[in-house]
Amino acid sequence: MTQERILVIGGGIAGLQAAAALREEGFRPLIIEKSPATGGHVARWDRLFPTQLHAREVIDTLNTATDGIESATGQEIVSLQSDGTGVTALSATGERFEGRAAVVATGFDLFDARLKEEYGYGMYENVITSAELEAMFRDGKVTMRNGEAPKRVAILHCVGSRDEKVGQNHCSKVCCITGIKQAIELTEAVPGVQVTNFYMDLRAFGNGYEELYRRSQIENGVTYVRGRISEAGETIDKRIQLKVEDTLVGRPLRMTVDMLVLLVGMRAPKCCSTFGLPTQANGFFAPRDPYTQTVASTTPGIYLAGTATGPKTIGETVNEAVAVARRIRMDLKK
Amino acid sequence: MHPGSPWFFDPFVLPFSIGVLWLFIAIVWKWSKWFAGLPREDKALIRHNFFTARTFRAIKEAFLECLIHRKIWKTNPMLGFMHMSLALGWFLLIVVGKLETSAYIRDAVNPPHVHVFFRYFFPEEPAAYIRHFNYALLMDCLLIFVLCGVALAWGKRLYSRMMGMKRTTRHTPFDRIALTTLWLIFPLRYLAESITCGVHDSGSFFTGGTGDLLASVLPGGVLSAMEYPAWWAYSIVLGLFFVAMPYSRYMHIFTEIPLIFLRAYKVKSKPEGSTFDNFQIQACSRCGICLDPCPIAADLDINNIQPAYFLRDRRYGHLTAQVADTCLMCGRCAQACPVGIDQATLRLSSRVAFARQSSFYEAPRYEFLASTADRSEGTGRVGYFAGCMTQLTPSITRAMEKIFAAARVDVWWADKNGGVCCGRPMRLSGNLPAAERMERYNTELFRKHGITTLVTGCPICYKTFTQEYKELQKMGIRVLHHTQYIAELIAGGRLKTSTLAASYAYHDPCELRGIYSEPRYVLSHVATLTNAESHEKDRVHCCGGSLANLTLDTAAQKKIGTTVVHNLLATGAETIVTSCPQCKKSLQLSAGNDQVHVVDIAEVVARAV
Repeated sequence: MTQERILVIGGGIAGLQAAAALREEGFRPLIIEKSPATGGHVARWDRLFPTQLHAREVIDTLNTATDGIESATGQEIVSLQSDGTGVTALSATGERFEGRAAVVATGFDLFDARLKEEYGYGMYENVITSAELEAMFRDGKVTMRNGEAPKRVAILHCVGSRDEKVGQNHCSKVCCITGIKQAIELTEAVPGVQVTNFYMDLRAFGNGYEELYRRSQIENGVTYVRGRISEAGETIDKRIQLKVEDTLVGRPLRMTVDMLVLLVGMRAPKCCSTFGLPTQANGFFAPRDPYTQTVASTTPGIYLAGTATGPKTIGETVNEAVAVARRIRMDLKK
Repeated sequence: MHPGSPWFFDPFVLPFSIGVLWLFIAIVWKWSKWFAGLPREDKALIRHNFFTARTFRAIKEAFLECLIHRKIWKTNPMLGFMHMSLALGWFLLIVVGKLETSAYIRDAVNPPHVHVFFRYFFPEEPAAYIRHFNYALLMDCLLIFVLCGVALAWGKRLYSRMMGMKRTTRHTPFDRIALTTLWLIFPLRYLAESITCGVHDSGSFFTGGTGDLLASVLPGGVLSAMEYPAWWAYSIVLGLFFVAMPYSRYMHIFTEIPLIFLRAYKVKSKPEGSTFDNFQIQACSRCGICLDPCPIAADLDINNIQPAYFLRDRRYGHLTAQVADTCLMCGRCAQACPVGIDQATLRLSSRVAFARQSSFYEAPRYEFLASTADRSEGTGRVGYFAGCMTQLTPSITRAMEKIFAAARVDVWWADKNGGVCCGRPMRLSGNLPAAERMERYNTELFRKHGITTLVTGCPICYKTFTQEYKELQKMGIRVLHHTQYIAELIAGGRLKTSTLAASYAYHDPCELRGIYSEPRYVLSHVATLTNAESHEKDRVHCCGGSLANLTLDTAAQKKIGTTVVHNLLATGAETIVTSCPQCKKSLQLSAGNDQVHVVDIAEVVARAV
């Protein structure tokens, strides 16, 4: 019997795990990834919350699980059609992929911090994003642009999350705990550095998050100020002057830091508007229902997994990827 | 009853006479109350300006606006004709009717009902009278003139687009009574006069002709039997109209006149409110011309906050904060208003009234401004006040740094040296004491640093500095928006620029109303400008991000901005340029974050430096 081919669009952790699970369910998955290599955002991360596991280990596990599975990299899917008996995907280069069903595991884009112009990203040299800080961690040296180690760092939460002014009304879910984790890692990477987190709410909802939040304060001396930075200006010596209201004290506060880290949120990628599938108010794909059909789209033959339907942690993403394989088998092999 | 006595009477004149008396008392009562309640300084203004040319100009304006309705003619000629035929036609019917009566009874003193019901009391004019002047012909012409207006008003109800109006005002019950009676007055007058002319075989071509026709169709007895009831009906609708008038929108007929005079004497509405506001509020005829230009009506289909409704709600005492707070104060409605009502200040005074109800209103706020150690430093003749909004768009400040450096201007940077918010957001939300607190602080700061020219990066601050900071003028500080300043630098040869190979569509910020030539001069100097006339200058659509709006959420604001982006991109421009950091932000949001670039005029110039 020829195995049925399932297209897995996206080669991040959702796509990789889905492909591995689909093979176990007896399908022949094909991973289609737009960038030259699989692994997605996680592959570019250094360590992960809440246990500071190296991201590499997650990727290695998934790579092992997907060993031997067909993949097409450098292929960005621009259109996806289902006719009830099969699906067809077209890439930007004109390549055509056909399968019995498709898993949309297209993930998220990081919010473009330049749109919050008031923080000066792209203009002030010592304003970086959380993703760039991870890259520094991976390289093993956290420095200002001039090569010096920062003495004072501010981490700003909710950049492009819960912000109507940039059309991003949703919570990106993982940034709070990422901010806590990065604050701890900063104190580990740069001895003596003083780290302040500026937040509106700290949503430490997951297992071990609250504990990490507490630990960061007691053991690492990280401080937390409730208040969104209203504006940032660059001083002559390229440091960043912040204006913020400490909303717990009810007073404005000015602070000059060596480095400002923007915790950029998750936004829906472009494909969310080109695949012709229904989307939610936050722009991400809409599952058939958010209770018992979280991995099915409204179109038969097209399934969803991971952050394609909104911000999620790695654990949740991997669970969905396993679930989507099971859901496809239940639907197709009745 | 014989010619020569002015006291003609018949019971049917009672409804009319009671109505007129009632109206007269209502007007005298309202006006005296409002005049008496005017603030002392406003009364002084009236005294000071009364015996000046202003009075003559006001008379001229009253004639042009209350009778001819010149501004409505400019909006739409057919609409103008409708208003003029009703106003001027009725006015002339009264004047000519009065002359006719006085000439006929040879006594200038006669009660109003005599000329209103002239034809009833004098069914046949004497031949000698016709020899002097054919009043009957003239009165018939005027009646036709007014009836044209009534017919157009009926037509407008059925199909308002005929007069260029998409939306018409929804009416209150009193307005409906007044409107219905107004529509019946002249047809009934026409009927009553025609019947009398038919019975007595008199009258000119119109009423006489119709009378002849009626007499030929109807049996003689029927026509005579109809005469008296017809005059009763005419008197009753007149009386009803006059009784309803003080409560209805038709109060504008009499209120606009004192408003024109008071305005000529420089009396203005104030954020704190005064009885002068009543003249403005009741001068609104709810004609509905303000409805179509409103971006909130056009893009969001919210149809209860426009000046016609806001002023109505305020007049009848059921104004809600929601109505007062939902407004961009973009000024499009005020631009269109034929009465020239200053709705923005009236809305502001309503907001102040609501804010006063809060216990925070008089509570000292921003006390830290005084206690903060003064860290300001530096001096310079030119001060640059970026303001909060420009602080949120640092690329604009960067661009200005480059421009100042290129023009070799030594600048004092207000924001880095203790400058605080100009106060406009607080003012617009009705919190005047808080706004004044900031005004005092900034004024002292400018004084301390000897600023002579104050350049602002934000039109919101510009408007506040020029309109609210009364001290600045006394201190001799010249306030300019950076658009004007850059134009001066270029014109004076102090700023050398190259030409960019790019096309821009310029968005006029609402807060820079009237400053149209400078940005166009600057932009056409450095790049190609592709503006479309139908959507620029006074006709610009607000970006949606106005600080004056206190209720619309971002999704709604974005919708308004989308119209602007659409209009601007339709001109074929690659980039949108504006001169307001707030417009920049909201247009960027509406344009979608990735596709279109929105920049400030300073950024364009800096690129060309």
